[in-house]
Amino acid sequence: MLSRVAASFYWLSRYIERSDGILRMLKTNYASSQDAIQGFTWEPVIRIFSGSDQDLIDRLKNDSRTVINYMVTDKNNSNSVLSIITLSRENARGVQEHINTDLWQCLNEYYHIVKENSLVNKLKKDDPISALDILIKQVMLYYGTAEVTMERGPGRSFMNIGKYLERAIQAIDILDIKFGSINHNPDLLTDTTYWKHLLQSLGGYELYLKTYRDGLEAHNVLEQVILNNDFPRSVIYSVNNIQRYFDRLKLDSSMTDYQELSFFIGKLQSHIKYSSVKGIQNDGLHLYLTQLKDQLYQIGNLLNERYFANS
Amino acid sequence: MYKAAHFDGYHSIPGVWDEMYLQSSDIRAHYQKVIDYLSQESPDELGKKEELAQRLFMKQGITFTVYNSGEGIEKIFPFDIIPRIITGSEWDFVEKGIKQRLTALNLFLKDIYHNQFIIKDGIIPIDAIYSCPHFTREMYQVDVPYDIYVHIAGIDLIRDEEGTFYVLEDNLRTPSGVSYMLENREITKRLFPDLLPNCGVRSVTEYPNILYKNLQSLSPRRISNPTIVLLSPGIYNSAYFEHTTLARLMGVELVEGRDLVVNNQKVYMKTTTGLQQVDVIYRRVDDEYLDPLVFNPNSILGVAGIMGAYRKGNVAIVNAIGNGVADDKAIYIYVPDMIKYYLNEEPILKNVPTYRLNNPDEQKYVFDNINKMVVKKTNGSGGYGMLMGHAASQEEIDEYKLEILKQPRDFIAQPTISLSAAPCYIQGALRPRRIDLRPYALCGPDGIEIVPGGLTRVALKEGSLVVNSSQGGGSKDTWVLA
Repeated sequence: MLSRVAASFYWLSRYIERSDGILRMLKTNYASSQDAIQGFTWEPVIRIFSGSDQDLIDRLKNDSRTVINYMVTDKNNSNSVLSIITLSRENARGVQEHINTDLWQCLNEYYHIVKENSLVNKLKKDDPISALDILIKQVMLYYGTAEVTMERGPGRSFMNIGKYLERAIQAIDILDIKFGSINHNPDLLTDTTYWKHLLQSLGGYELYLKTYRDGLEAHNVLEQVILNNDFPRSVIYSVNNIQRYFDRLKLDSSMTDYQELSFFIGKLQSHIKYSSVKGIQNDGLHLYLTQLKDQLYQIGNLLNERYFANS
Repeated sequence: MYKAAHFDGYHSIPGVWDEMYLQSSDIRAHYQKVIDYLSQESPDELGKKEELAQRLFMKQGITFTVYNSGEGIEKIFPFDIIPRIITGSEWDFVEKGIKQRLTALNLFLKDIYHNQFIIKDGIIPIDAIYSCPHFTREMYQVDVPYDIYVHIAGIDLIRDEEGTFYVLEDNLRTPSGVSYMLENREITKRLFPDLLPNCGVRSVTEYPNILYKNLQSLSPRRISNPTIVLLSPGIYNSAYFEHTTLARLMGVELVEGRDLVVNNQKVYMKTTTGLQQVDVIYRRVDDEYLDPLVFNPNSILGVAGIMGAYRKGNVAIVNAIGNGVADDKAIYIYVPDMIKYYLNEEPILKNVPTYRLNNPDEQKYVFDNINKMVVKKTNGSGGYGMLMGHAASQEEIDEYKLEILKQPRDFIAQPTISLSAAPCYIQGALRPRRIDLRPYALCGPDGIEIVPGGLTRVALKEGSLVVNSSQGGGSKDTWVLA
């Protein structure tokens, strides 16, 4: 497979996953802003997806509509859904003859919907949740179409590696910022809906209720989001899948490249697998999360260098 | 006459060959079945078909992107639903003519880059060749596989008021539009069920297979499965859709310049398993951008060193480099002489009379009769930089004359040919619009093959004679009857 094609697969998929994360995050936070008695702040959301430019945060943090518009349809925000779907679609165009027509048309449609005026109006004036739902549905449609139509070859492996890498990084960012904004001291928190929203934005609230019977506790949240093998948005689940799809690339790799990356992914996998919530908390959550993120970035860099010929 | 409302008010343009009507307003026999079919449909029904066609094009992404203020706008190449029909005997004539012409042009390119007998024998003056910007000195004494330079040609044909076919230009570099020939046919199948087989229309679907077979035969390495790639300038190119379509239909890899690298005078593509040698390149990148070491040094679309690999014979490039010397509009004048010189035959297809503006007598004649002339740049394309004498204002003409006087070699003039007209479905009714025809000829070691069909371009604006898509032109499905 051409290196450029592999890179396009990887990035088109990373961007889709990111758009999914943004949309779900906006939806839950908007809903909770409607619950809030005191002033609701968007600061953590902005920090997760748009960096920590304090001016920007101050300008946006108290106005739900402005935040949502900035993060969905703003052309000047390089990480808005519109911007990243445009990039995703361009990557797809570059590999158009490698993906199925259905998948291309699905992405093409997603792009045209984000650009529609009626969507912009809904976000500005009507119920933003119904507009966000339309877009979330497009992502689901994309995942279904990819699952059913993509040839089981290296292209799909690169797509999935991109998807799970992005997903793992998002889960880590969300934890880091959410715990960071309460100074890593959950005992001070009186309102447990804080955890409920965190879990909802990852689609893991219902699973939590089924797993833990003793209410919303910070250490249980950590356990589920980092260590639960069966939670499709947990860090360990994502890393397991990176390992799984990377392994399938063995025949499409040069041996030294394969071994080096394989070693690295395996090391990260074991690092997480043999962690415990207690241990993590003793060592410091922020430090632990930072280490994981560094290692994920390093995997990204190695792919870039060894597989995408961008050294 | 026919009852259906969309036939009302169809009047052939006086003094113009109408593909559908005879002078006496009878219908030509080969259009009969289509007309019978159309007259059973209401104008509404046809309107719906037109909408369906547009939806199909948009949905499949058969679009080109116009970049405007940082934002891409998707446009479809306008498509007219009424097919253009060519009879079997007309086609036989056209086919013979193109084969003859292409044979001579290939011989000319071989000659001009080797012994130059045609100059030595005084058929073409030496300055006509050496003043051509596309005469590529780097190709001198380079041998190409099977002596084929033009593997793919798109020869533009037009018909005058008598219905005689003329060659308007030879496109021998990277002719485009063939994907529209294929897609237009697919759309017509959806629009008019059963009509194609009932009329006995010959199929065009073989095109990608023939092209693939030819590309495969050019591989310098004698191996069973050579690596063939299609080199595209990338997704921002307006013909990108065509590149992906052809790559998909042939099952070859679509690459960009940055995917290729030259080492030890061999071309490789960068893959996830390492470098893989490339044998044949069907390039859709112009000569000028192909190799920054030899041609335009600022090009990032090409591959550094590819010309060296090509000269060494380690990679085949399709079409050959330097073909521009044969489709230059100032060399066009000599094509009938080439046919006589190389083949000892009379040209089957006629040239449009052409005046060189660097010849003082011809220049004077053109300036005196400029209202009846079309003036073109010798290396222009896409309908840009043309002067249509009958439609231009005195001011435009004066300005253009100044341009000509600066660089007379760069211009030629031709009398305005009244292109033939065919019925088009325009706002609920059939109206005559001017058309041309571009068949695609494929030249391989086994000879020249032309799939029966081509791209019919149509000037959708009333009264317009310019069919280029950049100037408000569209296209039609082109039927050749068995």
